[in-house]
Amino acid sequence: MGSFCEIQIFAESRIDAKKILSRLTEEVARLEKKYSRFRNDSFLTEINRSAGRKHGIEIDSETQSLLDHAKNCYETSDGLFDVTAATLSQIWDFKNAQIPTQAQIDAAQTTLGFHKISWSDSRLRLPPNMQIDFGGIVKEYAADSVARLARNLGVNNGLVNLGGDFSVIGAQPDNRPWSTGIIAPDRERDIMAKIDLLQGGLASSGDYERFFMHKGKRYSHIMNPFTGWPCAGLRAVSVAANLCTVAGSVATIAMLKDEIVAKQWLLDSGLPHVYMDSRQTVGGTGINANS
Amino acid sequence: MQLAAHATLKNSDSANIIALSSTALALPGIALADAPPTQSTASYKLSNYQEDDLSRSEVPSGELNRYDIDVHQFQLVAPMGRNMSVHVDANYESLSGASPWFTSVGLDGKPVVNLSGASGISDSRSELSVGTRYYLDNGSFAGNIGYSEENDYRAVYFGLNGERHYNDDLTTLAGGFSYSSDDIFPTDAALFNRVRDEDKRSSSVFVSLTQIINQVSSFQTALSFTEQSGFLSDPYKLRDVRPEDKTQIAWSNSYRRFFVAANAALHVNYRFYHDDFGINSHTSDVSWHQNLGRQFQIVPQLRYYSQSAADFFTNVDDFLNPLSEYQSSDYRLSAFGAISGGFSLIADMGSWKATLTAERYLANDKYSAYDISQPSTALVKYNRLSLGVDFSF
Repeated sequence: MGSFCEIQIFAESRIDAKKILSRLTEEVARLEKKYSRFRNDSFLTEINRSAGRKHGIEIDSETQSLLDHAKNCYETSDGLFDVTAATLSQIWDFKNAQIPTQAQIDAAQTTLGFHKISWSDSRLRLPPNMQIDFGGIVKEYAADSVARLARNLGVNNGLVNLGGDFSVIGAQPDNRPWSTGIIAPDRERDIMAKIDLLQGGLASSGDYERFFMHKGKRYSHIMNPFTGWPCAGLRAVSVAANLCTVAGSVATIAMLKDEIVAKQWLLDSGLPHVYMDSRQTVGGTGINANS
Repeated sequence: MQLAAHATLKNSDSANIIALSSTALALPGIALADAPPTQSTASYKLSNYQEDDLSRSEVPSGELNRYDIDVHQFQLVAPMGRNMSVHVDANYESLSGASPWFTSVGLDGKPVVNLSGASGISDSRSELSVGTRYYLDNGSFAGNIGYSEENDYRAVYFGLNGERHYNDDLTTLAGGFSYSSDDIFPTDAALFNRVRDEDKRSSSVFVSLTQIINQVSSFQTALSFTEQSGFLSDPYKLRDVRPEDKTQIAWSNSYRRFFVAANAALHVNYRFYHDDFGINSHTSDVSWHQNLGRQFQIVPQLRYYSQSAADFFTNVDDFLNPLSEYQSSDYRLSAFGAISGGFSLIADMGSWKATLTAERYLANDKYSAYDISQPSTALVKYNRLSLGVDFSF
């Protein structure tokens, strides 16, 4: 997945644990191979290559379900969280801090819009040049899927961590919660919050590694489909929910919203969360200050 | 500043979160759907079925020992990809003993039985079947094909079935179809004037409904119809003439309840059967599945069975009857009752599981719930003992 992944489980014997772990890592590898945007042989790449094809592409039920969830995110966020905004990321060169021309942005914006895609049952049709990116959804889904699989294999205690997206298999063997540290953006050794998890999942979104400074303003790699610019609201958000997938969607939507709106949206969600805003202030609810 | 949170998750009442959860919960890796096995399982079971010898008062001369059958069953179930499983079953049976050849009237005027052949019968049966099951989000469907061979019998069969869950998986509806085409070519046909080569076909359909009542109990009811046509008689009996068509219907019900305090489950089953040979039967059985710790289980079981006679059953063969008239002295077509009891011991060691089963079966016309106008000879008593081992890897 191109990030640090860790699965901790407790099993009756080391042999059992090894067998279960290899089955769980297989599931991570399966989803990575299927939905990675950075692999030429992934199914997602194949989907993106089908853009503009009249008859579209045949998709399986798992991909349909992911698209159902993506559509739900799109509608819930009034179009802000749009998995079809991938072409925008491609024109922004974060490495060399190059701003694309307005013409490039305009061109990219014509290719996106979740409402333009259609899928009926197993056939998906993407308009020409549209690209899909399941960022904010698929890694979180993988964490939940691995946790569920572990429970099915009889594991009662464990934690899945896929690059900062956590899904709890079950509490620690002595019933203590799992303590997850949330790293502050661009201060790698600094933990901005600790969240104890007994169940469900935790997902984070932020301008951790890739961001952009422009006229003294900081922009994350998360793209606002309406402006064509990276979003400039909160710097980082972590959300806990009954599923890591839900937490990831909420965190991504919060990142896309304007700062003040985002804080209210998080509050309204009723979910425990921690954020860092543009003034480097850490806040949130459902948590206890420990400064 | 550092914050520490103890995320206590209550269900969010935010409409947005409820909406987002609805599609997340439908994702296949998360949804509580049917799942194919994630491990392979290899099983082996050895069973011995031993019928009690008949007494000299029942058999005036010749062999007294009846069937003794050893059965070896192998099964391999393996996941294939994410949504499928495959299974291979291989069975081998070896059989020896003697079976009723014809019935007649003994010196005391009571019917007696004459068993086949001085040296009895010796035969073996080999069977191979392969199948696959495909798992969907809310159910599964499966198919299998198989082949079975004895030195006087050959069967080719296939089956298709599927099930679907409704009502948050509390209700399951299942259905299926199977078909078998069998060839019968008795040994020593010329010597004993038996039929040389006959065939029969069976088609069967079933539907079943399973309802989970609450956390500890469930109920299932199922209906099946089977239509057989072709040679349905016993070619080894001196006189056995049965209709060439048979329609069977069976209605099965099962109730299961787990008792938390006892750490045990009660299974109660009842089955009614009817066919147009004229046989009605009732089977009821009850078993108690007692867990002993996490690794052991003991299951005592008791069953009662009773059936009425086929319309053309006779306890003394009438060789003066024309061949066009149906008649059979097969004890399985007589009115009788049977009581059987037994137990299973199960040891579950994680990747190993062993099951030992012992059963005693006693058929007797006195146990019948139906009137007996013609008590049959040679009703069966048997012991069955089996030992099975499953290995998951």
